[in-house]
Amino acid sequence: MALSSIFSGNNNNAEQQQPTNTTTTKTPLVSELKQQISQELAIANATELVNKVTENCFETCMKTPYAEGNDSCVDSCLAKYMRSWNSISRAYIQRIQQSPDKNA
Amino acid sequence: MSQSTTSANISQADLQNLDDNSKKDIMNFLEVENSKQKVQMSIHQFTNMCFKQCITNATNPELSAGEEQCLNNCVNRFLDTNIRIVKGLQNIQ
Repeated sequence: MALSSIFSGNNNNAEQQQPTNTTTTKTPLVSELKQQISQELAIANATELVNKVTENCFETCMKTPYAEGNDSCVDSCLAKYMRSWNSISRAYIQRIQQSPDKNA
Repeated sequence: MSQSTTSANISQADLQNLDDNSKKDIMNFLEVENSKQKVQMSIHQFTNMCFKQCITNATNPELSAGEEQCLNNCVNRFLDTNIRIVKGLQNIQ
């Protein structure tokens, strides 16, 4: 799962993965609902990410008594956090694919 | 915020008038999204935890080989621990 899916809201996916059941009436309401659900999830994920990166980069880059900022550290910390996210995502998905029954 | 726009755009009556196939469709969609979301939240949790343990300075935006290995190990050891704990608890019962 790519990180980009966090922000996209995954609308294309939501629309296309249905194997168009013959009897399913493709009401606009259904796709609207799906779209809103995807959007809510994307917002929740983005919020979580912002909070976690801020927390970690604040801890990494700022020193008591917080007299001065350190923008360059924050910038590279953000980049590093995103790389870590991707790396961990890969490791975790590899792990759950190896033993799908063992992990909660 | 987004909650209010949801209820504004889609009325209760509309929802009640959904046919069974549409309901099933949405249930399936929710189930898939729900499990994807669980994975996402686990990754958030692991990244938060392992970044703290493995990354000590952020002057270089690239991950070093050592840091990458540490992150990878961190996830795997956490899951090992999780499995071990579940087994341990099962033995107690």
